[in-house]
Amino acid sequence: MGLGPMMSSLMRSKTGPLLVALQIAVTLAIVINSLYIVVQRVERINRDPGLDVDNVIIAYVRGFGENFDVVDSITNDIILIKSIPGVVAATVSDHVPLSGSGSGTGLRTVPDETIEPVSTGYYRWGEEGLDALGIELSRGRNFFPEEVNYILPASDPPTPPSVLVTQNLADDLFGEEDALGKTVYWGNMEPSTIVGIIGHLHGSWVTWDKLAHVVIQPGKPANTTNKYIIRVEPGMRDGLMPIIEQKLGESNRQRVVKSVRSLEEMAARSYRRDRGMAIILSIVISLLIGLTALVIVGLSSFHVTQRTKQIGIRRALGARRGDIINEFLLENWLITTVGAVLGIILTAFVAYWLEVSFELTRLDWRYLPAGIVILWVLSTLAAIEPARRAASVSPAVATRSG
Amino acid sequence: MFNYNLKLSLKSMRRNPIMTGLMVAAIAVGIGISMTTLTVYYMMNGNPIPEKSDVLFAVTLDNWNPIRPFDDDRPERAPHQVTFHDAERLLAIGKGKRQTAMFESSLIIEPIDDEGLPFEAGARVTSADFFVMFNVPFIYGSGWDKSADAAAEPMVVLTKGLNERLFGGEDSVGNWLTMQGTRFLVTGVIDTWEPTPRFFDPINGGFQEINEMFIPYSLTRVLELTSAGSDWGWKSEEINSFEEWLNSEAVWVQYFVELESTRERDDYLVHLDAYVEEQKRLGRFERPLNNNIYDVMEWMDYHEVVANDAKILLGLSFLFLVVCLLSTIALMLTKFVGKKSEISLRRALGASRKVIFNQQIVEVAVIGFSGGLIGLSLAALGLQGIEYLYDAPAGLVKLDWVMMFTAIGIAIVSSMIAGLYPAWRVCQIPPAAQLKTQ
Repeated sequence: MGLGPMMSSLMRSKTGPLLVALQIAVTLAIVINSLYIVVQRVERINRDPGLDVDNVIIAYVRGFGENFDVVDSITNDIILIKSIPGVVAATVSDHVPLSGSGSGTGLRTVPDETIEPVSTGYYRWGEEGLDALGIELSRGRNFFPEEVNYILPASDPPTPPSVLVTQNLADDLFGEEDALGKTVYWGNMEPSTIVGIIGHLHGSWVTWDKLAHVVIQPGKPANTTNKYIIRVEPGMRDGLMPIIEQKLGESNRQRVVKSVRSLEEMAARSYRRDRGMAIILSIVISLLIGLTALVIVGLSSFHVTQRTKQIGIRRALGARRGDIINEFLLENWLITTVGAVLGIILTAFVAYWLEVSFELTRLDWRYLPAGIVILWVLSTLAAIEPARRAASVSPAVATRSG
Repeated sequence: MFNYNLKLSLKSMRRNPIMTGLMVAAIAVGIGISMTTLTVYYMMNGNPIPEKSDVLFAVTLDNWNPIRPFDDDRPERAPHQVTFHDAERLLAIGKGKRQTAMFESSLIIEPIDDEGLPFEAGARVTSADFFVMFNVPFIYGSGWDKSADAAAEPMVVLTKGLNERLFGGEDSVGNWLTMQGTRFLVTGVIDTWEPTPRFFDPINGGFQEINEMFIPYSLTRVLELTSAGSDWGWKSEEINSFEEWLNSEAVWVQYFVELESTRERDDYLVHLDAYVEEQKRLGRFERPLNNNIYDVMEWMDYHEVVANDAKILLGLSFLFLVVCLLSTIALMLTKFVGKKSEISLRRALGASRKVIFNQQIVEVAVIGFSGGLIGLSLAALGLQGIEYLYDAPAGLVKLDWVMMFTAIGIAIVSSMIAGLYPAWRVCQIPPAAQLKTQ
């Protein structure tokens, strides 16, 4: 295998190959760092929220006028919603998980204000809340109906004796100990007992690092705007949304149905930044890889044309087609590898910039070899056709003048 | 001479359409991506009210928990909003040139005629100075008078969109609207007003549309208006009535003041300190004195209005542009090498190095300009995509003249930089050197 002719042609025009190597280096730096961000965002979007996102409908209604009685309205609405065929369960809630709107509080295991509380999202919903969201209780019990009372606005309801917490919150409160049956203290130092533990559930703010901290109080919040969480039979959601909207609208004229939406749509909205970033970076990666590949194809083809005579002479002197192909591919591989080595250094710089300036997690080093292998494959694929054409140069070319 | 160069360039570009196409495409994609991200960054980083951004200040007071700061990561900061009653008292004292308190709420608008249906509309609950302070443009009428603030009179200023929906876009000043059983007098309709970022409320979203209407702050007590924005509390207080809620230590009101000179600013801080000292004597404000004012751009920084993702994309897309330029240089170099014989011939026939160089540069500029134009259309497309992906109000990010010139400028300048070395190399070709070997 003769490296000679290849090296000499590489050395004669250093700038061109060096530029391609540089281009490959910067491409590697962008692709690896972008890919890493994309993977992280996609993983985040695909986390298990611990509830039945696909089959839940959320309705927002708001009453007005002097004769409007919010408690009557909620009671009748829930009866009405549950009478619709296909509805599995329904509850009124103060907030909706994954919606971006919620409440937060701090809990303690001892009634001592000087101790840092554990932050958590919190909800109030009725005894059908778990069923309405498709949440599984891993241990303990759900609320009893008699524990669930209406909570009027600007009222100070008594602290409920029973609460549900997620396992994640329980672990951060009690560590190794079993949290079931234990007491937690609210900001006003009033106690509640943990009667049930939810294996896993996401709260309202998807960007919050304590998203899986959730505590639930029993209650039917009678706020200005009432939020109904409704779970339906699989596959019936889209058909039922307009029916629910229409029935709610007709049943009480002193009330505006603000919106009826699927939880899936609301969750997608909460994750739109992550999804947007993942899509934009995927487009950037594809364009970049496409461009670099095209440039390699373009330059290799041009070199083949330029070296037609040289190739012809070598063929006339006994070089086989395979030798010519190998030579072109090897040249291309060498350029790519020089680019990849430079690229690793550049990738590390960009990763450092992202980590220090934006607090992104440190780049997983395994992306580097993966990226280099992809580059090798890609640049070989891009060069293979021009190399074939080079190999098809007839030895007779050598005999021509000019 | 320029026309001759141009003609030669076009000829040379046509001779090698694939190489030319690749170069134009490389520049177009590079410009398309980098202009998209640059425009988003420029929009987010923009000054929403340049004529007044250094005289408008957001006010923060530290009424937070004596044993814990508002923000553990930045303990030097006071809460980013103030309590309802502090805002109410500061408004009443009126120490600044102008001042306004505000929060977001929403009301049900009852139908004007028998056919309409009631609907909910977003409201900014604020005070009379809001409109003058923030240079809000009016189509009809004006904001309400300060006396309406004092007397808690139900008055409303509509946005153009809401006025369109309710009154078909006609001059509705003097008309009445019924909202939640109360009759409101329309005092004005504002024209399209899209401060970007929405500087007066970065807390509830810097890039949202403005609320559909404005009503007096003093109506909060009368109509028991609740905030639709974020509220934060630390103290466990027993709240059994709306009145007790308004008088609680929860923060949910944004407070702005207009101060023209350094002296006014200093005086205002002294005034805030005096106010808090007085409240301290009543047993409130248990933390050390920590009152601050932030001008508009400081307030945007405080809330990190420019998303990190936008900065990351900007950085990565400029690296992308570097890749595009490297490809252009490589392609151009290769292409010029192929023109060796032509150049030597021209040199042999008397063309000076300068002439050859100029011709190469013109060719490069033509490629840069074409790439820039295509890149601009790609950027326009990219921005549409971003508005869609991020669910932004239509037209939030658009290419203005500044951005268009920047794009073309970057395209031409960067492609000329990319062409300099190849052009210089070409000039080094000795006259007739190539002819000899033929």
